[in-house]
Amino acid sequence: MTTLPGLNLSSIPPETLATPLTLQTRTQDLPAGTEYRFEVAFSRTFFIRLLSGTAEFFGTELAPSSKDSYTFSGTKGAIYTWHGCKLELVGEAESEYLAEETMMMSYANAHFALENLREKAAQVGETGPRVLVVGPENAGKTSLVKILTSYAVKAGRQPVVVNLDPRQGILSVPGSLTAAAFSSIVDVEEGWGSSPISGPSPIPVKMPLVYHYGLGSPEDGKIFKPLVTRMALAVTSRLEEDKLSKQAGFIIDSSGAVSHGKAGLYENIEHIISEFSVNALFVLGSERLFSDMSRKYSNRPPDEKVSVVRLDKSGGCVDRDENYMKQLRQAQIRSYFFGNGENALNPATHSVDYDELNIFRLIEASQVNTSFRPGDDDDDVYGSSNELFEKVTPSPMMQNSLLAITTAGVNERQEVIRDSSVLGYIYVADVDDTKKKLRLLSPQTGRIPPNAIILGSFPEDAPGLVS
Amino acid sequence: MSLPSAEVAADFKDALQDLKINSRPEISNLTIIAKENTEHAQAISRELENHIRTTRPEWKLPALYVLDSIVKNVGTPYTVYLGRNLYRTFMDAYSLMDPGTRKAMEGLLKTWKQPVPESMDPRPVFSADVTRDIENALIKYRTVAIQQQALSQKQGMQYNMPARPMPNTPWRNTPTPPLNATRYTPSNDPRVRQFQPFSQAPPSYGGQYPPPATPPTSFQPPASYQQPSSSIDLDKLKSDLDKIITATQAAWALTPSDVPIQQKLKALLDLQTILKTQALPPEQLRQIQIQVQQLSPPPLPIPSYAPPVPVPPPAIQSPQQQATPAFPPANTPLDLAQLFANARPPVPPASTPTVSAPSLAEMLRRTTSPMQPTATSAPIPPFFSAPYSAAPPPAPALTPTPTNNLAQLLAQFSQPAAAPPVSRPPPPQNTPLPQLLPQASAAPPTVGSAEWLLNALKAQNVLPAAGTPSAPQGTPLSSEPMTRQGSATTGVQNDAELTTASMKKPRFNLISRLYEAFPNQCVTCGRRFESTPQGKERKARHMDWHFKVKDPDLAKRGIHRSWYISEKEWIEYREVDEAPPEQASNGATGAAAAPKKETRDNYVLVPTDAALVHAPCPICQEKFEPQWLVEANDFVWMDAVKVNGKIYHATCWEEYSRGAGIAAPSTPDSVLGKRKAEVSPIGSGKKVRAY
Repeated sequence: MTTLPGLNLSSIPPETLATPLTLQTRTQDLPAGTEYRFEVAFSRTFFIRLLSGTAEFFGTELAPSSKDSYTFSGTKGAIYTWHGCKLELVGEAESEYLAEETMMMSYANAHFALENLREKAAQVGETGPRVLVVGPENAGKTSLVKILTSYAVKAGRQPVVVNLDPRQGILSVPGSLTAAAFSSIVDVEEGWGSSPISGPSPIPVKMPLVYHYGLGSPEDGKIFKPLVTRMALAVTSRLEEDKLSKQAGFIIDSSGAVSHGKAGLYENIEHIISEFSVNALFVLGSERLFSDMSRKYSNRPPDEKVSVVRLDKSGGCVDRDENYMKQLRQAQIRSYFFGNGENALNPATHSVDYDELNIFRLIEASQVNTSFRPGDDDDDVYGSSNELFEKVTPSPMMQNSLLAITTAGVNERQEVIRDSSVLGYIYVADVDDTKKKLRLLSPQTGRIPPNAIILGSFPEDAPGLVS
Repeated sequence: MSLPSAEVAADFKDALQDLKINSRPEISNLTIIAKENTEHAQAISRELENHIRTTRPEWKLPALYVLDSIVKNVGTPYTVYLGRNLYRTFMDAYSLMDPGTRKAMEGLLKTWKQPVPESMDPRPVFSADVTRDIENALIKYRTVAIQQQALSQKQGMQYNMPARPMPNTPWRNTPTPPLNATRYTPSNDPRVRQFQPFSQAPPSYGGQYPPPATPPTSFQPPASYQQPSSSIDLDKLKSDLDKIITATQAAWALTPSDVPIQQKLKALLDLQTILKTQALPPEQLRQIQIQVQQLSPPPLPIPSYAPPVPVPPPAIQSPQQQATPAFPPANTPLDLAQLFANARPPVPPASTPTVSAPSLAEMLRRTTSPMQPTATSAPIPPFFSAPYSAAPPPAPALTPTPTNNLAQLLAQFSQPAAAPPVSRPPPPQNTPLPQLLPQASAAPPTVGSAEWLLNALKAQNVLPAAGTPSAPQGTPLSSEPMTRQGSATTGVQNDAELTTASMKKPRFNLISRLYEAFPNQCVTCGRRFESTPQGKERKARHMDWHFKVKDPDLAKRGIHRSWYISEKEWIEYREVDEAPPEQASNGATGAAAAPKKETRDNYVLVPTDAALVHAPCPICQEKFEPQWLVEANDFVWMDAVKVNGKIYHATCWEEYSRGAGIAAPSTPDSVLGKRKAEVSPIGSGKKVRAY
């Protein structure tokens, strides 16, 4: 395995027709309690600068009259102001408008209610609120999680954010499930911030724990629940020792898919609630889900009490079509390898032989005809009786796909591979079937760890990442 | 990474050759070259040194400015390379310069003793031992110059010494005007006063003792305050004092490491300031004069500095004189007691309690550590107490009374001088005469200073406890609260509950907890901090972090994404806030994981030698991976040790050496130790903490 020196991958990702059409500067006044909502295409760049007053982007306050504008690209966002503000806008947004009716007061109330619980928890030394946010797709779950996180950080807390939505990554690529404690501000431009890089980062980095799920929906496979169990274990262990995070508790973002339910049964939600001992459940948008949830959790003993709270969906939530989501995922993958904006990274290209990699392909539920018993989450169900992975040799089919390098050894049992966290991702740039060689894009120059590598069907191929 | 060092150095040299005037763009251009080629820092540094040594004298100063710009803007590794030969570089140039350029060079040197402006890094640009050598050499040099001048001129006052650069006063290019007794009448003209104290008082002598407590700005009292109370020989006294000071300086220059002389000099300067900024009652002046006559120094080592004139204020500081070898020891001991006895002010009871002067302590603190309002926990400014604690045996022999008076006298002197002009109303009775002790304790505004001083002295066991006039009531300094005052909560009741109904209720009053509770906002990223001292400190660290990570050369450095940490590491990991409260909460695990870390936290800087860069670890044959280490502020190989010129993985080496029974070198190879930030435990094994 060698590093190819000549293949000098440009650290600047090729720009997709970023032709600035109109770059006229304009200002926008926001009265107190209003929200400026905007959508920016991936091919455009939009600059926002706070001229006066206070403003926040999903809870994170914008820097006051800083020299540099915030840059947005491929963003559907909103800037809210509690006190009124004046913004300077440069560039072209796909849509933009000023909204006077927002849900921010409710969301802030949610934060203050959590703060009360945190203060109590700090006094008696218990774990702070354990929050799960559920709701259908595009109800603003991730935005709510972000607002709650930002406010908690602002109040000096250090909440752990758990992402159980594989459709979009938090601090990692799509298809992954992550957990990270937030002690510094949530980045405005990059979504959540950045995982550590080998140099100083002007964006406060977060240290995520990453698992690879490899499928698009929690309902798809049989490894979602075991992974949730595993993550709950890790997060709980962390909280046991990390006093700051223990007081702040954690906030779980979920996939819209878990909220669909089957005939009134929400087995994944229940699984998450029981594994993480969730005691605050925010239901966004869906009346029916709220009703189902409050019915289920209203009669619990006090020590297992789950407060089910309904929050209205913000009028700013827009449906993100599959095309947008795909672009968003591509952008996240690109940003994993190449960084973002000024913070450019230099991934390395490796050429490896087929037999140097130990790739385990995830067997999807649809492919294996096993009867799946809902509600039974004993490990035996996923045990050796059913194959989780099949070992595959590289093939041209793998081109443009993303591989997850786990921390598990090659000869470990499949459950161990399933439950192990991820070291990082590599991208199959090219497959040469005649020479039995792969060209890989790796974040690092060193040799690729000889661990078990998982290939899932999600995220989808990312063609043109290295072109 | 790109060009070999020789080429870069040659380019740099070419650019240097063109630098013939103090041209800002050219200097910053050269700085940028240096900054972008830190991997060739050694070659560049050598080139710069050579250039400074070989170029024509009039072109040396711009080159020195380049050096200055590089060490301040780039820092390591240049400070290391350039620091090595700084003495030669500097002194060789200095000896060839004309006086004007020398002044500029001394100005440079002065800034090197201080931290880089606007950096939170408290360490000086160059380490103290580098600058001290130069400083000592300069002092010797000046002394010679003075002596020569003194010989050629009959009056010793006209010394044309090299400049003593003072950052906060514009350099006055004229030689110090001789204090003219006939011309000078103590008047209310502030201009007169402005140059008086400082044209004569070179306070910035030596790098070892703290900066002078008397920057000129804080000692220019409002004119209305000045009292031309007496004309008895005040000017003469002053000029005499100047002479004594000059003589002491010369004495000190001969033995720069002599601490007592340093202290004495400082005391003299302080008293000179007091004398010049205050009007003293005639009685006191006369007394001082008498004492000074008794104290009058015999001919000093430097011939022309032997004025037979008495010196007033040094009397107060006379304890130090005993320890002053260069100072004529003959008559000091007997003066001491007398001096103290006489120091008791036979002053009419002045009715000036309205003068609300800030205390001496406050003044001292203001001048020594201007950004430190919370230093109250240390009630005694160290340099101030030093002279007293260093006071030799006579002190215990004193009776309480004279010592009280000494303290009081000092305090009184300093009170009016310390008064900030703005806060002072034109005093109706413009006779700020020293007050008697009882009065001092009776007058609340002034008590603080006198008492503070007394307490300070007592704490040093100089003052017997019986001599203290009163209980320390109302000292504004010690009572200043250090505790965190009021947490973030603003006292608004938070009644939000986790119910759907409660979510709908508007609670605008709570929003202040997100904003007003943290009024101290970072302008770069919008993060908010409390207005408490802790909050300020956190913000300062935070700003420092912004500064650290703002490196425009990042892209060239080959930054890449790190691997994620493993489950176990994550569980043990503690977030590192860029503005940590005190010690980041890593304490518990840090201790537990300490043994493991010792080996793995060894690192070496990524070598510049091409052969070494590509050499794998000789034991495991795996290559090293450069990582950015915040502490070293450079790229390093973690988990590495250098043994006999080869670089091994520290863990490999440990295993190997354990087998072979060789002791592993345990130190991180750190030529950069000087610039190392405060040592903090590295997060988790070899993972580099980056933000």
